Amino acid sequence: MDEMNLTDYLAQGGKLTSPANVPPRYRAELLKLMATFVDSELAGAAGFADAINAGPGIKERIAAAKIVLEKTDNADKVLKLMGEFGADTARYANHHPWTARLDRDADIGASRTEHDMRLAVFNYPLAGWGDAVVMNLLMGRAVGVQMEEFKRVSYQPLAEAFRAIAPVEARHAELAEEGIERLISEGQGDSLQASVEYWWPRVAASFGIGNPERFEALKSMGLRHTPNADLRNTWEERAGSALSRQGLQSG
Amino acid sequence: MARFHDLKVTDIHRTIRDAVVLTLEPDDPAAFDFTQGQYLTFRRDFDGEELRRSYSICSGKTEGRLQVGIKRVEGGAFSTWANEELAVGDTLQAMEPMGGFFTPLDPANENNYLGFAGGSGITPVLSLIKTTLAVEPKSTFTLVYANKGVATIMFREELEDLKNQYLGRLSVIHVLEQDAQEIDLFTGMVTEEKCAQLFRTWIDIQHIDTAFICGPEPMMLGIAKALRDHGLDDAQIKFELFASAQPGRLKRKVVSKEAGKKANQAEIAITLDGSTQTITAAKDMTVLDAARENAMDAPYACKAGVCSTCRCRVIEGEVEMVANHALEDYEVEKGYVLSCQSFPVTDRVVVDYDQ
Repeated sequence: MDEMNLTDYLAQGGKLTSPANVPPRYRAELLKLMATFVDSELAGAAGFADAINAGPGIKERIAAAKIVLEKTDNADKVLKLMGEFGADTARYANHHPWTARLDRDADIGASRTEHDMRLAVFNYPLAGWGDAVVMNLLMGRAVGVQMEEFKRVSYQPLAEAFRAIAPVEARHAELAEEGIERLISEGQGDSLQASVEYWWPRVAASFGIGNPERFEALKSMGLRHTPNADLRNTWEERAGSALSRQGLQSG
Repeated sequence: MARFHDLKVTDIHRTIRDAVVLTLEPDDPAAFDFTQGQYLTFRRDFDGEELRRSYSICSGKTEGRLQVGIKRVEGGAFSTWANEELAVGDTLQAMEPMGGFFTPLDPANENNYLGFAGGSGITPVLSLIKTTLAVEPKSTFTLVYANKGVATIMFREELEDLKNQYLGRLSVIHVLEQDAQEIDLFTGMVTEEKCAQLFRTWIDIQHIDTAFICGPEPMMLGIAKALRDHGLDDAQIKFELFASAQPGRLKRKVVSKEAGKKANQAEIAITLDGSTQTITAAKDMTVLDAARENAMDAPYACKAGVCSTCRCRVIEGEVEMVANHALEDYEVEKGYVLSCQSFPVTDRVVVDYDQ
């Protein structure tokens, strides 16, 4: 039984299974990917925590609280894996003010702030219950698309974590859709449409601009498979049809 | 963060000429309440340099003992030492069990599991077989076990005993690279084609719930492809890449002789993705920021010394790492630093993100 170059192994779809068998550059890119997810979940949950109090009824409050709990739990699943690489997980969870947000009209495109790896979209503040529900619907659909991509990553423990996380995140998007349905029935369509227009380009930007060289490098390590633009197109279709089911227009 | 615990070696037995099975008694038994298929990471000092090696647990969850199998690899310091010098009564240090090479078991399950093991890749698979057959009385396990020849089959007798103990629920197909067998199909390597042939006649692939693969890289690829081609999805295929891919020994960092402290500017040579760029940067700027200011895509995430994404190795010169919540002492001794927390001290510093 011969041995094989790890680069060839990964390029052919091989899986790595523990911190002991990841090469240094792979380690770095993998940790970045995990940190992006953890930071986005922690920042998302922290931002949404305020929405619990804005919930117009008990069901809405329960839904919002469940989302906050489960996003934090999803962050924990991946943070545990970072811990196996040496990250100080207790300190990590608290080293940063996850509730911090920029102004609502700040224009940062796809760039991130200096000190954490959350997706750019999580730097914008929510403006009330309806706005939070719209953001959650659009981002929930985006996460669904991202999960399909990341369930295939070559680091087996992370792929498995994402397989466990995906249905939980999918449920969050469904809860958002149910929330929108109720708000529409209460005649809030116009303000929801305004929120869609605000969030649509920002969620779209979270798929990244896509540097082809970088994508190829990540692809050769098995950390990416589908180009950003393709993922974004899939999201546009799915989010668009979710909106039209509610009589809303995509941004 | 995982910590190291002491474990006493209470028994050593040789399963084949160059592989031992260690029975271990942990100081803190609760910390070693493992799940079948997991591994332990050991550490030991060799000539002043710490080595860490991971070995899979081979005992079953229901056996009430902790055992690992260690096959000697050519030139491997730890495995040679474990095979030749380690004695009963010695103490080893290991981190708590890790790894996710298992599926949850339930006595009510009526599952059919398929395992592939190459050489010493049998160790975690043996743990899976023993545990699964004991906990799920209605499940079956089929093992395809690849080896060079009869003499190198680890746990051969133990597998025979298990077959007798769990009559009709465990089948073992030995595929031998060199020794001829009665059935031609069982000679050679376990490749994608070989799997396809096995699935036609010997293995009812339609009714397999989960497959486990532990072996060297090419074998894992071939088998995984064959499984996918026969209808299994990614969630049904569990992998454990064994030790061959663990990085070897690292050289110590070169201590620069002209380590002067002349100006507040440092010349930093940074290697990233195979290419090296030399830049001049202020000494009050971190190595990470210096790299990024010069359009190098150096990795980072938390920038707070917590996550270790930005780890690099200092090859020459000296840096001061102002905070470190992620690297362990042995990594720091080898010259690893968190580049987001490291400021150049000497006028010339050479760092490498590829090591």
